[in-house]
Amino acid sequence: MDIDIRHIAKLSRLRIDDSELAGYEKEMADIIAMVEAMPDIEDELTVDPAEAMTLRADELGEKCFSRDEILKNAPKTVAGCVVVPKTVD
Amino acid sequence: MIKGYEVVVGLEVHAELNTKTKIYCNCRNSFGLEVNTQVCPICLGMPGTLPTLNEKVVEYAIKMGHALNCSINRICKQDRKNYFYPDLPKSYQISQADIPLCQNGYLDVIMDGGEVKRIGIERIHIEEDAGKLLHSDKFDGSLVDFNRCGVPLIEIVSKPDMRGSDEAKAYLETVRSILKYIDISDCKMQEGSIRCDVNVSVHKPGTPFGTRCEMKNVNSFSAAVRGIDYEANRQIEILEAGGVVTQETRRWDDQKGVSVSMRTKEDAQDYRYFPEPDLLTIVVPEEKVRELKETLPELPNAKIVRYVESFGLSHYDAAMIVDVVEKSAFFESCIDAGCRSPKLLANWVLGEISKFMNEGTAIEDTCLTPESMAELVNYIADGKISTAAGKTVFDIIVREKADIKAIIEEKGLAQVSDESALEAIADEVLAANEKSVADYLGGKTNALGYLVGQCMKASKGKANPGAMKEIILKKLAERG
Amino acid sequence: MKKLCEYNAYELSEMLSERKISSVELTKSVLERKEEIDGKINAYLFTDGEASIKMAEEADRLIASSEAKSRLAGIPVGIKDNISTKGIATTCASKMLENYVPVFNATVMDRLSRAGCVISGKLNMDEFAMGSSTENSYFVTTKNPFDLTCVPGGSSGGSAAAVSSCEAVVALGSDTGGSIRQPASLCGVVGLKPTYGSVSRYGLVAFASSLDQIGPFGRCVKDVALLQDEIQGHDPMDATSANRTYSSLYDGLSDDVDGLKIGVPKEYFGKGVKPEVAEAVMNSVRELEKRGAKAVAVSLPSTGYALSAYYIIACAEASSNLARFDGVKYGYRAKDCDGLIDMYEKTRSEGFGREVKRRIMLGTFVLSSGYFDAYYKKAKLLQKRIRQEFTDAFKSVDVIVTPTSPSEAFKIGDRISDPLAMYAADICTVTVNIAGLPAVSVPCGYSAAGLPYGMQIIGRKFDEQTILNLAYAHENAFGGFRRPKL
Repeated sequence: MDIDIRHIAKLSRLRIDDSELAGYEKEMADIIAMVEAMPDIEDELTVDPAEAMTLRADELGEKCFSRDEILKNAPKTVAGCVVVPKTVD
Repeated sequence: MIKGYEVVVGLEVHAELNTKTKIYCNCRNSFGLEVNTQVCPICLGMPGTLPTLNEKVVEYAIKMGHALNCSINRICKQDRKNYFYPDLPKSYQISQADIPLCQNGYLDVIMDGGEVKRIGIERIHIEEDAGKLLHSDKFDGSLVDFNRCGVPLIEIVSKPDMRGSDEAKAYLETVRSILKYIDISDCKMQEGSIRCDVNVSVHKPGTPFGTRCEMKNVNSFSAAVRGIDYEANRQIEILEAGGVVTQETRRWDDQKGVSVSMRTKEDAQDYRYFPEPDLLTIVVPEEKVRELKETLPELPNAKIVRYVESFGLSHYDAAMIVDVVEKSAFFESCIDAGCRSPKLLANWVLGEISKFMNEGTAIEDTCLTPESMAELVNYIADGKISTAAGKTVFDIIVREKADIKAIIEEKGLAQVSDESALEAIADEVLAANEKSVADYLGGKTNALGYLVGQCMKASKGKANPGAMKEIILKKLAERG
Repeated sequence: MKKLCEYNAYELSEMLSERKISSVELTKSVLERKEEIDGKINAYLFTDGEASIKMAEEADRLIASSEAKSRLAGIPVGIKDNISTKGIATTCASKMLENYVPVFNATVMDRLSRAGCVISGKLNMDEFAMGSSTENSYFVTTKNPFDLTCVPGGSSGGSAAAVSSCEAVVALGSDTGGSIRQPASLCGVVGLKPTYGSVSRYGLVAFASSLDQIGPFGRCVKDVALLQDEIQGHDPMDATSANRTYSSLYDGLSDDVDGLKIGVPKEYFGKGVKPEVAEAVMNSVRELEKRGAKAVAVSLPSTGYALSAYYIIACAEASSNLARFDGVKYGYRAKDCDGLIDMYEKTRSEGFGREVKRRIMLGTFVLSSGYFDAYYKKAKLLQKRIRQEFTDAFKSVDVIVTPTSPSEAFKIGDRISDPLAMYAADICTVTVNIAGLPAVSVPCGYSAAGLPYGMQIIGRKFDEQTILNLAYAHENAFGGFRRPKL
């Protein structure tokens, strides 16, 4: 099975240098070869009502985070907003 | 039908729900606050945070499902839709893929002519909204405001059942009206609380559907109409020139009035949907589903039919009142308060009341109550005051709490309906206008209007015009 | 004289409550030990002595006022660096989060803080918990206290090594496919991977949401029970957290295993498992039989495929969970970017290490259009089958016993360039995560070179008590933790 590492990297927003390409291809091919040994199972994925979750009541939280706190870890901010390279649309 | 082509339209409507809190965290769900002040580690997707699903979002979506005659998947799940964009903090949107909360419904849309068109509903699912990107020419970069992240949305996907922009418009208006009636969305187009994506294709009737194009960035219903018309014409021109329509996503530019290609099918995004592992199964008890159906209010279409059938309103008037929840609610409260003439009431609601509402004044901001309005309409309906006098009273009771009877007395607005008083006036006027009497008796029936007018004048406008006319006719008959 | 840091938590707990020692003394002892030894071990990524002492002073006040409700009040706990600590760096051992300081606490941290615990520091790990050797840390490779040329296991290698070398009394780790049990085994300590849903994941930086679970490390079973008592419990902030009542495992601890049925699955003792390890585990089983337990052969036929299913599910979830590290809101952002896509690609390529990138790509691949059914769906169906096989096995036995790791600690650098060899370190542990079950690893012998072997005891869902009881019985019968010669 051939995996288009470049395409997968693009989907993953990763850049793979030419020098790394062969290494990744080999490793991925090995892993895929391993997982392809999995048996076929005649069954469908279902949702399990036994695994029901409790929903949250629509009530405001007490804890409020200040903007400074929330943006503390942001690499770049201006005027209370996170800055990113210009987007087209 | 344009040049023998039928236009086929399907719509995806995104409506923001008006819950108190966001869909996956207990941040306030509100519009227009200062940037990045309605956010917490969860809606910002900070490492280690987890979503918890707001129960009201599920309930609201099911309500809409009932309103659109859907079957409800009371056991369902949520899925991740993966894509990178700066307004999407987790780089995935929690949505629903193969099992939406509601599916397979329909909506009957009443067209302008009164005919009913049934539009199929493919599905309704719940998901989270993204943040907003702000741009400025002065600034080399884009700014991200995350306030809108996690605002709950329902996406309502129609079947490709509309045949042109007029049907699409009627559908959108009906959907909006329902959202407002069941009170799950504010539906403020300018605030982006309701948005749509439009799918358009064209084909010759009797042939298979054409290749469809999806149009994004349609921000108003009128833009939807323009976009559909533009897109249909664009596709027809391609086909007429012997070309082939390519499946693609296009962006509608309402200012320029054109759609521009964003991406073709080949470079379509691969969203890599998979079940959201941070959430377990959504299980809504059967009783809850039933209860949500039973507590659904009367929907706008049913209201229009009832107004026409029970109150004798025209379809147009009924639709105009129903279009605005507050008008319809006030109209019905007046009826409940004992208003005896729904048709007259409708005129007031669509006239004077709509006038101040259009200027931005809500009914509850005035002193008008259903009781006072009902009383006023009854005075007019009973002929106790004239419509003109009614306007005088209306202007007062809008501004202040006042006793209508007292106003009428104080201002001398009461109509004279007393027969002997009216007869006295008639006798006087007939005596003074022998020529007109003779003309009338000689067959010039329009002289009647003149005589009634003279009587009204003599009464200083207080005579009941209907009763006055009856008496004049009676007296003329006695002479003839 | 025995230093305070060398005592077990349950002993220290008594000494603290009887006011024989103070938390400040104990904390100082732990910090001194760290100063003395961590240059060799590299277990900690971050310590803040002053802050730890402050917490200890607070704990001493709490104990003095007899308001301390928890047995762990005043006890220093080491924290794996993927557990969010408010105001304290939480790097996941990644360049991506080198400067990230959470503004909120993980639920387990809130619980420990309420209990009056002291944070002794943040512990090294494989980057984003991806790895079995702690060699994938961006910052430093942790060494095995029993042999400094060997790995401590992973991904919670820092936690295991710190507890083993007495640089921490107890520690928290996280386990997605064996990341608590395997390093516990390799470092000769006790490590518990709790039932999925019994410990809140809120604030644990996710690797694979459906498999991740926080759990305790200790040098004895009692300590592990004590720490698990503190962190287990329902959390409304985690929708996958189980809403049930949790009773004290420490109070319930008993070494009476008379009549207990121990399942021994042949699939875990054959190919891929070193005979010496298998033999050590069987030795322990025989020892337990002498105490009244009964060994029963069971079969878990799909075990051979579990590793494949595990890597598909874990990497699929990871590819999505780690997509948020894009240089926009927090963490690393590459310099000199030419537009948005360039920023994303540079940031992620420079910020993530090789193993993380490989797993993101594998996960992206198995979810991508056209491959979902062949990989992800198949793996999920296999997961269902594996769960069923465990359910069936537990109809006839109370616990299942296997080796934890197929071998003792391997040399640093030996497997780092061969992912499949590295992944094989998890063959005995991944099934437990796939089935959502609890399992504990206890030391069960030593190689000729003196490296520890570990035995894994797997239980029914939410039946931590039974596996800890067996672990306790084993510890009493067989002897438990032995201090490495450092």
